[in-house]
Amino acid sequence: MSAGTVTINGIDISKEPVKAKQKIGYLPQDPPVYPDMRVKEYMSFCAGLKRIPRSERKDEINRVMELLKISEVKNKLIKNLSGGYKRRVGFAQAILGKPDFIILDEPTVGLDPNQVIEVRNIIKDLGKKHSVIFSSHILSEVSEVCDRVVIINKGDIRAVDTIENLEKSFCSEVVLHIKVKGSKTKSASIIETTKGVKELTEINDEGSDSYSFTAVVDGDAEETRKNIMSELISNKVDITEIYSDRPNLENVFIQLINRPANSGGLEELLNPVPENKKSDESEEDK
Amino acid sequence: MFPIYKKELQSFFFTPFAYAVSALFMFLFTNIFNTAIGDVSSSTFQFSFTEIFYDVIFYFIFLIPIMTMRTYSDERKFGTEVLIMTSPVSVLKIVLAKYLANITVFLFMIAGSALFPIVTALNGEVVASQLICAYIGFFCWGAMYIALGMLLSSFTENSIIAGVIGEICMFAMLFIDKFSQTAFISQFPKLQSLLYSFAARPRFAYFSQGFIRLSDIVFFLSAIIVFLAWNYISIEKRRCNRG
Repeated sequence: MSAGTVTINGIDISKEPVKAKQKIGYLPQDPPVYPDMRVKEYMSFCAGLKRIPRSERKDEINRVMELLKISEVKNKLIKNLSGGYKRRVGFAQAILGKPDFIILDEPTVGLDPNQVIEVRNIIKDLGKKHSVIFSSHILSEVSEVCDRVVIINKGDIRAVDTIENLEKSFCSEVVLHIKVKGSKTKSASIIETTKGVKELTEINDEGSDSYSFTAVVDGDAEETRKNIMSELISNKVDITEIYSDRPNLENVFIQLINRPANSGGLEELLNPVPENKKSDESEEDK
Repeated sequence: MFPIYKKELQSFFFTPFAYAVSALFMFLFTNIFNTAIGDVSSSTFQFSFTEIFYDVIFYFIFLIPIMTMRTYSDERKFGTEVLIMTSPVSVLKIVLAKYLANITVFLFMIAGSALFPIVTALNGEVVASQLICAYIGFFCWGAMYIALGMLLSSFTENSIIAGVIGEICMFAMLFIDKFSQTAFISQFPKLQSLLYSFAARPRFAYFSQGFIRLSDIVFFLSAIIVFLAWNYISIEKRRCNRG
């Protein structure tokens, strides 16, 4: 049983569904298209459903068809279109009538790389004038498109914040990966003693006298990288690769999902109550 | 509401569907009409359109589920149910739009049969009042079956299942009066009268004799309202369950 309310611009969707739905454009995961309709007919039908005034209907249909680049297939039967086109037709109906809220459920699934970029750019543009709720499992895409993220696992909201804040909160440590050719011990001691390196966590033998090191950085990652490079070069160690693991949404996601469910929301997640304090509280409750 | 009504009509008339169903209906009507003409007594030269309608109704129950089986099930199959449910149209209007579209196709279907009384009137005499009443009764019966067929379509995404269950239900409804008169049911007078009160055929009999009784109109109208209300509940319940 679910609970709670959904209000759109102050309109409760359960009390005034028609009024609330007028402000929403929705693209489900499977595009809701009628296979036996032509694209133009379908758009006209959707415009009618969304109560777009007759006088504006033609211009609005042309606008969204141009935006989604489906004008060239407007006279084709939807069943004869490719999956990518069908998805774009579905997307076009969602933004028809310039709704205040646009809900997109995995809008780039089934599109080729060029179309994915196009659709992402459209979503970014839409975000300037509309509130776009974008659902996706592709976290790199979420990072690129969204300003604010809600991470949900099995119905539990695990986090609500901007991507930047989440990355800062959950990935405070930056990891450097260094690959060198030469002495393992010498390289390890140089890296470990370099200013900014907190600890060396992993050393792997890559063969052919090559070794890879993983170091946790304590402080400015860029500065530490420069320090390591200059130290290794001055000690005549060949560097073949050096890069840092930037904090990203994927790491945040993994950390959040692997945590036990927490009903306290983001604040509690970001500022977890220490275990001993928790047990004190529970004792007080008793 | 109008866009859904229009879309439904297009799905019937922009495909061979409405024409095929109407052609089948005309074929049945023609066959029964020809049989009736063939059986005309040479002394009286009389035959009854009412009896033709009676016979047609038996075949008619096979046509209505074919017409209504796709009403909601296809929407679910193609995922377009979400489009309609998230549009700013109330569930009541969705149900009414689809019902009216089915009624329009039904009217188109029976309109062709008017040709036979017209031809008969040109060459003889037709008792217009009786014929009009028979048409009204036939329409009421069809309208009730359409509401029932739509209801069954709202339960499943498989249109074939909706069609087959529709055939069974409509067949049972057609013979419920006969069933209530069986020796077994006669043992339980209350049950017998209850079952008989649901029978549409005796009510149609009054229409076919040229009587329009308020109770019969109320019977068909209330059955239509009940089935449509159930349609509404079924769709609304599904919408809530989907979250």
